[in-house]
Amino acid sequence: METFVQLVVNGFGKGAVFALLALGFVVIFKATEVVNFAHGSLVLFGGYLVVATRETLGWAGAAVLGVVSAGVLALLVERLLLSRSRLADPFSLALLTIGVDVIITEEIVRRLGVSLPFIGDAWDAQPVQVGGVTLFRTHLVAMVVATVLITAFFIAFRYSNWGVAMRAQAENKEAAALVGIRSSRVTATAWLVAGLLAGVAVLFIATQDFSGAGLSRGTHSIALAAFPAAILGGLDSTAGAIVGGLTVGLVDALSTHYVSFAFAKSAVFLVMLVVLVVRPSGLFGTRESTRV
Amino acid sequence: MRRWTVVACASALVLASCGTKGGGGDEGGEGAGGVRTGVGVTDSTITLGVMTDQTGPFKNLSTGITHGNELWVEDVNAQGGVCDREIKLEIVDHGYKADTAKTLYPQLEPKVLGMVQLVGSPVTAALNSDLEGDEMTTTPASWSSELLDNPYLMIVGTTYDVEMIDGLSYLQEQGMIADGDTVGHIYIDGEYGFNGLRGARYYAKQHNLKLREVKITSSDNDLTNVVTGLRGQGVKAILLTTTPTQTGSVAAANKALGLNVPILGNNPTFDPLLHNSPAAGALDNLYVVASSVPFSADIPKMQEVARKYEEAGFTEPPNAGVPYGYAVAEVWGTVLRKACDNGDLTRSGVHEALQQTTSAETGDLVAPLDFSKPGAPATRQVYVAQPDKSVPGGMKYVKELFVSEDAKTYQAPHEG
Repeated sequence: METFVQLVVNGFGKGAVFALLALGFVVIFKATEVVNFAHGSLVLFGGYLVVATRETLGWAGAAVLGVVSAGVLALLVERLLLSRSRLADPFSLALLTIGVDVIITEEIVRRLGVSLPFIGDAWDAQPVQVGGVTLFRTHLVAMVVATVLITAFFIAFRYSNWGVAMRAQAENKEAAALVGIRSSRVTATAWLVAGLLAGVAVLFIATQDFSGAGLSRGTHSIALAAFPAAILGGLDSTAGAIVGGLTVGLVDALSTHYVSFAFAKSAVFLVMLVVLVVRPSGLFGTRESTRV
Repeated sequence: MRRWTVVACASALVLASCGTKGGGGDEGGEGAGGVRTGVGVTDSTITLGVMTDQTGPFKNLSTGITHGNELWVEDVNAQGGVCDREIKLEIVDHGYKADTAKTLYPQLEPKVLGMVQLVGSPVTAALNSDLEGDEMTTTPASWSSELLDNPYLMIVGTTYDVEMIDGLSYLQEQGMIADGDTVGHIYIDGEYGFNGLRGARYYAKQHNLKLREVKITSSDNDLTNVVTGLRGQGVKAILLTTTPTQTGSVAAANKALGLNVPILGNNPTFDPLLHNSPAAGALDNLYVVASSVPFSADIPKMQEVARKYEEAGFTEPPNAGVPYGYAVAEVWGTVLRKACDNGDLTRSGVHEALQQTTSAETGDLVAPLDFSKPGAPATRQVYVAQPDKSVPGGMKYVKELFVSEDAKTYQAPHEG
């Protein structure tokens, strides 16, 4: 029982970070119908700036700079590349993001060289014991941050002008444009928000508690591992991102012990496939209906 | 939505996954000094190959080994070289990827007499038949006894299976484990991991240990859930045949989860950079077994190498790879001199000289070596070391060279 409880705690802790990552995918998809495969490189970029500026700015300053820079980079990608191909099919734009991803990732990995810097200075490897259960501080902080950010996102999405505009655009792009909603502003803001989320997530990923490794190519792979979370939750559902993230964390932790470590990697994809067979749009995704 | 989901899934899966020779070595020809020469040898130079990992999971250890090789080359050339020829190294990076190594090998092979360094069990396994076909005497920086069926592979030090047997024997001698205990073994899927596991299984059988085996890959860095599971199974020790990053994860989880059992690792499991990681405070339970000395060893030859390392101005912090790399090259020096004395510096001449080497002297950097018994590890002696941030190289030995009774009676897979 003790092992089960510990695994559940581990799983939820990691799930919070996966939820943050998944939300990044969802925000952009919801606003633009583009799947952003460059999300992993945004994560790496934010982390790299923390590493590069930590000595001069201190960890907190560097962390803020990293988060903001990841947001700005995402904005630049949208403004300089995607917005210029406004009429392009979302499929083509998704392929474009793969190109962006490869270029940014390879450059950062090259710059990192042989170093594998950990960047969760404020919370990493400082576990808390509560009644025989170990709570990893990185997981705890990630849960709090994820709760705050996701709640803020829900509120903004429901009540702010941007949120309403984004929902309108997601519902019907042409109709939204006709009523005066500036599509470019909605899209740019979505990319900015996704970038900021990537910048926050990396502060939890490149830690001993979460990934066991510092900033590296592996960080990028983990960011991409959040993709099943977004898919099984529903690519256009914010609630789905949370449920998807927690599911991925939990399935990974439990299957590692109760089945095998090797199986845990495919278990997440297996769950995703089962969900998609039953609900092709994901757990909370919008069902597509076509009148014939 | 449905269409997108399918395309997105397919793309995610794609991203997630994101010269042959006839063999026979060289015939050789007459060179300077009446010595027969062949590939990689001219009248003024002998070129040796280094296939290393400068960008993969063992890049720090590999860099240490390469610097050790380079220090020896500098020393030997300052003394006039070998056989009146200067030694040169031809260095390539395969990033611990067998497919990259397969591409690089045909470019390197025509330039070198042999290979003073070939990092990685999977890489060595992938090139095994090429090396044999080309009669390329090679020192793998991989200590798997499974490789000993290839007579051209010169493993300097003992093998992972023997390290594990000696290490377990040390834990038992110290009272940290007892017959009948449950012990976990986390190992990398591949020849490195399997060979460590082979030793653990042998020892477990002799001492009735219940072995809980966990197979991982070299890129699985978060092992918290694995250690959580092992805690639930009541393990008294954790054995590691992993990368240093994975060692950090296990050590950190061992402490965080309050398990605090001894961790025993094969020689590649430690890297002094762990002292600068968040796992630094959790390394006190780690024991590393190797047959080459740690960088901080208090022996004259090691102190000489350490001084030269400092003078050379290498920017990387030193690790146990440095003395090992120096020692390997020293063994190569012994073999090349013997080949020179035999008047044959071709690949087959080097191989013959290797088989005549019954005692290679490295100034105690590595346990005494005997290469004359086919299929058998060149030594079964090991040191046991523990992390210590205060010493250069980040590790000090806690038990000097020894061989356990179990290791003496253990038969390696290709031993005759």
